[in-house]
Amino acid sequence: MSDSPQNDSRHNDQPQEFQTLSGEPVRMVRFRIARPQREEQWGQYVVPVKGHTTLVDALEWIKSNIDLTLMFRHSCHHGSCGTCGMIVNNKQALACTTRVMDLVEEAEAAGEDRKSFAIEVRPLQTMDHLGDLAVDPARLFRDFPVDADYLRPSEANKGSEVPGEITGYQRFENCIECGLCVSSCPVVTMRDFMGPAGLAAYNREVTKHPERSGELLPRVDSDRGVWGCDRHLACSQVCPTGVYPAKHIVQLQKKIKKTKQESGQE
Amino acid sequence: MSHGHVVVIGGGGTGAAIIHDLIQRGFTATLVERGELTSGTTGRHHGQLHSGARYAVGDREIARECMEEVRILQAIAPQALEMNYGLFVALTDEDVAFAPEFIQACREATIPVREIPLDQAFRMEPHLNPEIKMALQVPDGTIDAWRLPLHFFATARAAGADIRTFTEVVGIHSRAGAVTGVRVLNHATQEESDIAADLVVSATGAWAEKVAALAGIHIPVTPAPGTMVAVKKRLNNMVVSHLHPAGDGDIIVPQRGLSIIGSTQWKTDDPDTVEVPRADIDYLTRRATELMPVFGETPFHAAWSASRPLAGASSNVEDGRKLSRDFIAIDHGRSDGVKGFISIIGGKATVLRAMGEKTVDLICDLVGVQEPCRTAETPLLQHRAFYNPHLVTKGAAS
Ligand SMILES: Cc1cc2nc3c(=O)[nH]c(=O)nc-3n(C[C@H](O)[C@H](O)[C@H](O)COP(=O)(O)OP(=O)(O)OC[C@H]3O[C@@H](n4cnc5c(N)ncnc54)[C@H](O)[C@@H]3O)c2cc1C
Ligand code: SF4
Ligand code: FES
Repeated sequence: MSDSPQNDSRHNDQPQEFQTLSGEPVRMVRFRIARPQREEQWGQYVVPVKGHTTLVDALEWIKSNIDLTLMFRHSCHHGSCGTCGMIVNNKQALACTTRVMDLVEEAEAAGEDRKSFAIEVRPLQTMDHLGDLAVDPARLFRDFPVDADYLRPSEANKGSEVPGEITGYQRFENCIECGLCVSSCPVVTMRDFMGPAGLAAYNREVTKHPERSGELLPRVDSDRGVWGCDRHLACSQVCPTGVYPAKHIVQLQKKIKKTKQESGQE
Repeated sequence: MSHGHVVVIGGGGTGAAIIHDLIQRGFTATLVERGELTSGTTGRHHGQLHSGARYAVGDREIARECMEEVRILQAIAPQALEMNYGLFVALTDEDVAFAPEFIQACREATIPVREIPLDQAFRMEPHLNPEIKMALQVPDGTIDAWRLPLHFFATARAAGADIRTFTEVVGIHSRAGAVTGVRVLNHATQEESDIAADLVVSATGAWAEKVAALAGIHIPVTPAPGTMVAVKKRLNNMVVSHLHPAGDGDIIVPQRGLSIIGSTQWKTDDPDTVEVPRADIDYLTRRATELMPVFGETPFHAAWSASRPLAGASSNVEDGRKLSRDFIAIDHGRSDGVKGFISIIGGKATVLRAMGEKTVDLICDLVGVQEPCRTAETPLLQHRAFYNPHLVTKGAAS
């Protein structure tokens, strides 16, 4: 624990840009990090950043050099686990695949003042807050089919030869369950709505296992389910892995309508 | 009745498997992790489900254990694995000359290995270097580095384990040569408190030296980070490895829509301040391009590193090696005069369950309990169940 979680005072005596001995350019970048459970509410930190430094690298730097108790979730560092979702300069993003220099370049292009510019990082909204940037994803998973398969058949099965020992190549789902879509969804922030990630997971599960339709479709056939979607499409825009949850919601709506027609309910 | 309360320090794969096994064998247990679960080495590893082929020439026993665990994990946690097999490919005549020794070693380790005709190998993996001279198929696969341990955590939690994240151990209490508990700092509240324990297990990998020091014990552990580089395209269906004695940058592990080359190894003082060396990215990309030429032209996705714990020479480390060739389990009661404190260092993500089994066997010995391990036969709950244990409907474990 440090007495003061800010290292901003150092900012003025340090060069803004320099090179390492090996010639790699380093840039001092200022971060403003939400710490809502702390008295100070925000922490300001200046971090040395190289070309390939990601936001998660920068947060780890702050954690090991300034405040060991800075809270953020991270695990894989390559966009696969889905733990590191945050709101970065007002946009939902994965910290581990966000290159800090991209944010700096973006700010410069927008005409931001070099000296005062800071990257602002906040925790995802619509989930319970644990501390600093960390949230509890229980809210996200509550509206998932909790036991749905996480594997799917690979599209490569069409063209490629497969080892004789297996029936086809498998892949993990593209959805890394990061919750960026849920955090960006205006409906979730306004009323009780299952949210894009969970609904997309329901659609995948009934597509893979049509025999589960009778059990699963009724769970999403409601105003907090598929009929709650207002088609803002924010989910499909923020999704880091191209899941397009909005498309899944439409497919799920169609499946429900079709089932009802077939059983003569409509 | 509980056999006693165990505090497990470290929420990586090793801690996950230990707490699951402890709960199954009738202990009560609390696991404390200073960050998010698997935020140490486990979440960042290369993601290879090791058939053991990579290790067979060097150590049949380790290889055999990998193969056994691959079979077990397929049965207890199938949704955490892309079981697509792997190809070892020869790039040079020297590699081809290495093949008979490799095949023999795999067979001795019970790893099914077979040569695949080249035309067939290219139909499996169209991006392979067209110059390859030989391809051998083994049962390798891909692990979801976060979701596999979460299967263990979910199952343990549903059965009553107390799992606390953002909770850092800052002290280890002992009285009259035996541990009595740990002192923890809750990062959210900034408050310290004590957790009483009959036994304390440190499963802190590259941090094991620091944690043992809290009990006044020295274990020489050097963090040895390695880098991995991912490109934004699924170039291979199977794990593709260079057929040669295991070295740096010789495996491309595919996963979802990514292909990942790894790894390297260097040494550092502090596992918390690991940076990716720019030179590693260039080196790994070059090595990947030898196996699959398109790798170098595929858009970059991410580069990161993870720390292995390299245990140095000391009497407690030598003692701790006896349980397994692959990892070290130190009973600090025996080697350092602190009863009820155990450190587990090393191993592989692939063999996490076996590490849990051997550690809990040791714990049962220490407290004089006879409970057989049942984790190899118990299907695990899926990762999502960790967050909502009450919603679980199918595939529930006892
Ligand atoms: C570069 C690299 C590539 C690898 N690739 C593979 C692979 O492809 N396949 C494979 O099977 N294996 C692989 N491995 C090995 C595998 O990653 C490790 O064996 C395994 O993850 C170790 O897990 P662990 O739980 O022992 O350690 P860790 O995952 O490091 O867990 C230790 C935990 O302890 C926590 N901790 C530390 N101090 C404290 C404290 N004071 N209080 C509370 N918590 C604390 C840390 O935060 C950390 O989460 C690789 C390893 C490396 C380094
Ligand atoms: S659909 Fe996309 S944004 Fe939503 S949880 Fe899945 S990966 Fe994340
Ligand atoms: S740390 Fe896994 S997605 Fe970012």
